[in-house]
Amino acid sequence: MMILRDSLRALLVLLALSWASVAMAGPYEDALQKFTTDSYADTDTAIVGVASSGNPQALAVVEALRDGRLLAGAGRVVIRDASGAMTDAATGQAIAGAAPADLKPVRVNNRVRRAIEAALGSMTLMSPDAGKRLDAARAVFRSKDAAALPILDQALAQEKDATVKTILEEARAAILLSAPDISSADRIAAIGVLKARGNQDALALLSSVTGAPEVVEAAQAAAAGIRSRLELWNALQNVWYGISLGSVLLLAAIGLAITFGTMGVINMAHGEMVMIGAYTTFVVQEIIRTQMPGLFGASLFIALPLAFVVAGGIGILIERTVIRFLYGRPLETLLATWGLSLMLQQAVRSIFGPTNREVGTPAWMSGALELGGLSLTYNRIAIVIFAFGVFAALLLVMRYTSLGLFVRAVTQNRRMAGSMGIRTNRIDALAFGLGSGVAGIAGVALSQIDNVSPNLGQGYIIDSFMVVVFGGVGNLWGTLVGAMTLGIANKLLEPYAGAVLGKIVLLIAIILFIQRRPRGLFALKGRAVEA
Amino acid sequence: MSQVFDRRTIVVLVLLAAAAILVPAMNMLAAPGSAFHLSDHLVPLLGKYLAFALLALSVDLVWGYCGILSLGHGAFFALGGYAMGMYLMRQIGARGVYANPTLPDFMVFLNWKELPWFWYGFDWFPFAMLMVLLVPGLLAFVFGWFAFRSRVTGVYLSIITQAMTFALMLAFFRNDMGFGGNNGLTDFKDILGFPIQAASTRVVLFVASAVALAGGYLLCRWIVTSKLGKVLVAVRDAESRTRFLGYRVEHYKLAVFTLSAMLAGVAGALYVPQVGIINPGEFAPANSIEVVIWVAVGGRGTLAGAILGALVVNAGKTWFTGALPELWLFALGGLFVFVTLLMPKGILGTAEEWWERARRKPKAGVAPDALPSAAE
Amino acid sequence: MSMLGKAVKGARWLAASALIAGTMAGAAQAQETIKVGILHSLSGTMAISETTLKDAMLMLIEEQNKKGGILGKKLEAVVVDPASNWPLFAEKARELISKDKVVAVFGCWTSVSRKSVLPVFKELNSILFYPVQYEGEESERNVFYTGAAPNQQAIPAVDYLAKEEGVQRWVLAGTDYVYPRTTNKILEAYLLAKGVKPEDIMINYTPFGHSDWQTIVADIKKFGSAGKKTAVVSTINGDANVPFYKELGNQGVKATDIPVVAFSVGEEELAGIDTKPLVGHLAAWNYFQSVDTPDNKAFIEKWKAFTKNDKRVTNDPMEAHVIGFNMWVKAVEKAGTTEPDKVIDSIVGIQVPNLTGGVSEMLPNHHITKPVLIGEIKDNGQFDVVWKTEGLVPGDAWSKELDGSKDLVADWKTLKCGNYNTVTKKCGGA
Repeated sequence: MMILRDSLRALLVLLALSWASVAMAGPYEDALQKFTTDSYADTDTAIVGVASSGNPQALAVVEALRDGRLLAGAGRVVIRDASGAMTDAATGQAIAGAAPADLKPVRVNNRVRRAIEAALGSMTLMSPDAGKRLDAARAVFRSKDAAALPILDQALAQEKDATVKTILEEARAAILLSAPDISSADRIAAIGVLKARGNQDALALLSSVTGAPEVVEAAQAAAAGIRSRLELWNALQNVWYGISLGSVLLLAAIGLAITFGTMGVINMAHGEMVMIGAYTTFVVQEIIRTQMPGLFGASLFIALPLAFVVAGGIGILIERTVIRFLYGRPLETLLATWGLSLMLQQAVRSIFGPTNREVGTPAWMSGALELGGLSLTYNRIAIVIFAFGVFAALLLVMRYTSLGLFVRAVTQNRRMAGSMGIRTNRIDALAFGLGSGVAGIAGVALSQIDNVSPNLGQGYIIDSFMVVVFGGVGNLWGTLVGAMTLGIANKLLEPYAGAVLGKIVLLIAIILFIQRRPRGLFALKGRAVEA
Repeated sequence: MSQVFDRRTIVVLVLLAAAAILVPAMNMLAAPGSAFHLSDHLVPLLGKYLAFALLALSVDLVWGYCGILSLGHGAFFALGGYAMGMYLMRQIGARGVYANPTLPDFMVFLNWKELPWFWYGFDWFPFAMLMVLLVPGLLAFVFGWFAFRSRVTGVYLSIITQAMTFALMLAFFRNDMGFGGNNGLTDFKDILGFPIQAASTRVVLFVASAVALAGGYLLCRWIVTSKLGKVLVAVRDAESRTRFLGYRVEHYKLAVFTLSAMLAGVAGALYVPQVGIINPGEFAPANSIEVVIWVAVGGRGTLAGAILGALVVNAGKTWFTGALPELWLFALGGLFVFVTLLMPKGILGTAEEWWERARRKPKAGVAPDALPSAAE
Repeated sequence: MSMLGKAVKGARWLAASALIAGTMAGAAQAQETIKVGILHSLSGTMAISETTLKDAMLMLIEEQNKKGGILGKKLEAVVVDPASNWPLFAEKARELISKDKVVAVFGCWTSVSRKSVLPVFKELNSILFYPVQYEGEESERNVFYTGAAPNQQAIPAVDYLAKEEGVQRWVLAGTDYVYPRTTNKILEAYLLAKGVKPEDIMINYTPFGHSDWQTIVADIKKFGSAGKKTAVVSTINGDANVPFYKELGNQGVKATDIPVVAFSVGEEELAGIDTKPLVGHLAAWNYFQSVDTPDNKAFIEKWKAFTKNDKRVTNDPMEAHVIGFNMWVKAVEKAGTTEPDKVIDSIVGIQVPNLTGGVSEMLPNHHITKPVLIGEIKDNGQFDVVWKTEGLVPGDAWSKELDGSKDLVADWKTLKCGNYNTVTKKCGGA
């Protein structure tokens, strides 16, 4: 580590001095040779050497190394660009024809990756692209390398973009705080900058400050301020985790709220419908991957209607062949659907194999949104929005469409509904299909955060029943409130009780709650209750 | 009293007695290799089926006769099993791999220094047996007292029983609980001084299971034929009406629920020494659901049907998992669907229906000689 | 009288039907084969990992038969499904040994399944080959442990992180069962002895199949931002890993900041995840599919041909079965019989090549010698080996880091004891 830092320092000084000077061929080529030895330590030295050479090819070499496009072997180093065209790293000349067989990509490990990041950081601080400058500033903030100070100052002087400028200043403050021989006044000013940053990284820097008493005091005061602010954000963050867990529960349970809550079928195969939705996503992505890779970002949107149709179709098939003979005997639906769930699991296992299948995350769902002290990951945001969207859609269907009206009529009083001319058979099948289809689209969302395996559904079935029963059977709002309550309560308990005890406490709470309200949170009133 | 011993009861008792005599005889007396020899590995297997049958019986008592669909009876079974397992653990003594005279291996493993208080007394067989009854009984009593008083019924009750067993499963999975976590209790050596792996001990355990099942069956028969049983059926069929007639419904429910939990506990205690392990997996909600399925397959509300169902499904499972390891879930799942759709009264109910129909036909003019063909 | 007759008939029918069920599979086969049992879950929660091992065994047996079997007889695999149900493991083991008369069993994955079948193998005196890395603290005469003991996986991994990555702060995260508990206990003792401060170690346990990792990953991030280089040592089990890694990727925990080294994540587990955000996280095993040796290349080709699937991956427990099976074959040939007692005696000291270029040996403590490899996750779901032990590491049955077992040794060759106490000079633990 020390050697790396020293040499990096040396290189940066050199870089600063010879910024516009003519590149010298000697050191650059020497450094390149180090890539060919297949040793991480040599690769490390090579990066430093290449970056310090000032050679116009240097940036391309380091970037190629980062992306695994730098090939080396037999005394030669070659850059391959995204299209597959080869360039000799030493001469910059294009190489015609196929890649020489003796060349292999230069291997990287975490240590090399860090060196790449640091080198790229200092090399791209002046990049014309604001995004690249931002990344570079962050890299410098992380490496806290005192040698980067001169070039950092230079970059600061030119920087126009406010966001980049803030990060540059913070990077400078971070360096000032950890470097030796900095005046107390400068360090206290740096503390002020970091206090304004006010996040976990700043806290880490501030709490490890040593040196003059007044500096340490200022750092500790700033750290205390950040800490109490973070406490607050932390509580909010937990609520967010709760909402996001609640959304997962809501998604898992909402189909059940129809098949079980409204129709009274104790549908133990519900989890398998979710699983089928997840596998549909897998199949869609497989096809997209091989046939039209450009559409990958939209794969989930393509999977949604398909999952609805596939799971809904299987639901209708199940209803027509099994469930319809069992209306009025709810407990027997439990047995039959349990049998069905075993068969569906085994069917999926036979078709797709017992192992997890890979469902990819589209690029737009990766990463996190920083909101004050909150960190909201995009995929969770997507799931929360999606869950509420599904809920709203289902609510509208049940409330404002004739299908919804008929379903409600049939479940409230089958014979009366029949006498009014509703084809109860058809409505049963459609309602079961609707519930199953909704479970299917939940599977699309859950494939993003969980295993896609034959056991997927089993993991959600008990939680789903808890949510529906806790919220009150037959009431969609109850399911929403139930899911959110359980999700948030779980996440607020977890930091204190741990994941397992928290869950146990919650289960006991549900048991006790049912004593107080034997028909759940939002109990149906009226004659239907006694049926 | 004569009501208790109806024809079905006599058949069940005679069959159990025959099993209790024949299995030991075929195992111990018949020469290995002869057609009548029952191989050693089948004795604990059959014993396990009988323990399951007792568990199914306890579920049928509450579900078939009182309408309480418990999806958490596996919890009572497992608690009984754990009580027995703790006794067996203490019997290992210094023969564990670490040779600690008091602490079971898993405690030494996790650096426990002394025996937790709730393990005290379990080295004494009568105390352990008392706990086999009391622990599940007490849990059922407390749970039932709350649930029945608050008039939690139907699906809601089923789901909270499931929540109960799920919570217990999570709790027992925790290594900090002091019950061995996921590995549970295993590697037992002796029971009452007899080596647990000896063929003779196995036979005795089998006979004990048969006797316990017969006793449990008689107890259940006695309950369902008594006045209590009539009230239970009334509760099952019209709970509110029974309450309006002046019966304290919750007391009846509570009594029978607690009793049933104790029976399940006994079943668990018989199960553990025969399979040689108890672990939190027994609390899994899926296990409890399976028990209900045994009862449904055999015939709900018949007692004998519960026994039959447990035997048929488990024998099927044993056979399928060996013969069709890749496809057995299709067979088992298909069986459940088939039975619910086409035999709503279970195997026993359907068989008796056929029998009745076949018997009635001769009265309608068919000659008695034609009876066997009519049965087909 | 007629009642009694009926009852007797009934009972005989009951017993007979059980017998029929018991002997059907067995009777149909001729006497000329040697039967080998395969005891891996094909359904339930563990099917995800164990089914592959069943297939691997079938391939090995088929291959051996192509070479002419052993002792002039063909091998026959008997496959059963213990369905991830631990008591069923014991029952099926009994069935395999007593009814199907198998001469050796290859099987089990979880510790609890192994603990469940142990008494059966001891009672019926048969042989079990157990192919998965485990917590150690065990050595039985009838069991051969071909997976890694903690000293063949956990400790070298921690050494690597401390040396190569300069890690000073440690998160030990695991599923709450015996393997992570023991491994973490050993690691904690080891790290403390190396001078790591207690406040720089965070231990966290989660239940099986834990799927919501938001809070824990956030905690890890927080723990890791205290100014010292932090790493996570993960003993998180099977199913819970996918959501864990997905959450790591989403919350932006990069390997360059907080590397995660896992002991239960191999090629098979990664096949279910998009590994691009995970590049650089590590795993410690004794085998990786990416190891470039002729033996391994041939094995992977055979595997892909056998499963007729070009995308099937190989993993460490499969290699353990390859080693275990080859050792068994050699031991049987050496003993001239498949009789367990003879095989148990002849197998100690047997050497077979492993797939990573070395030669593994069965030790007197029934564990084997293995190389330890550290791999970094690549974006194609494979591992890049970044570090490797010089030679092979012999497996320790009893950990030297734990108070309860530091004086114990296992030696089935000369001492004939699995838990010999070197202080009291007695067999039996104390």
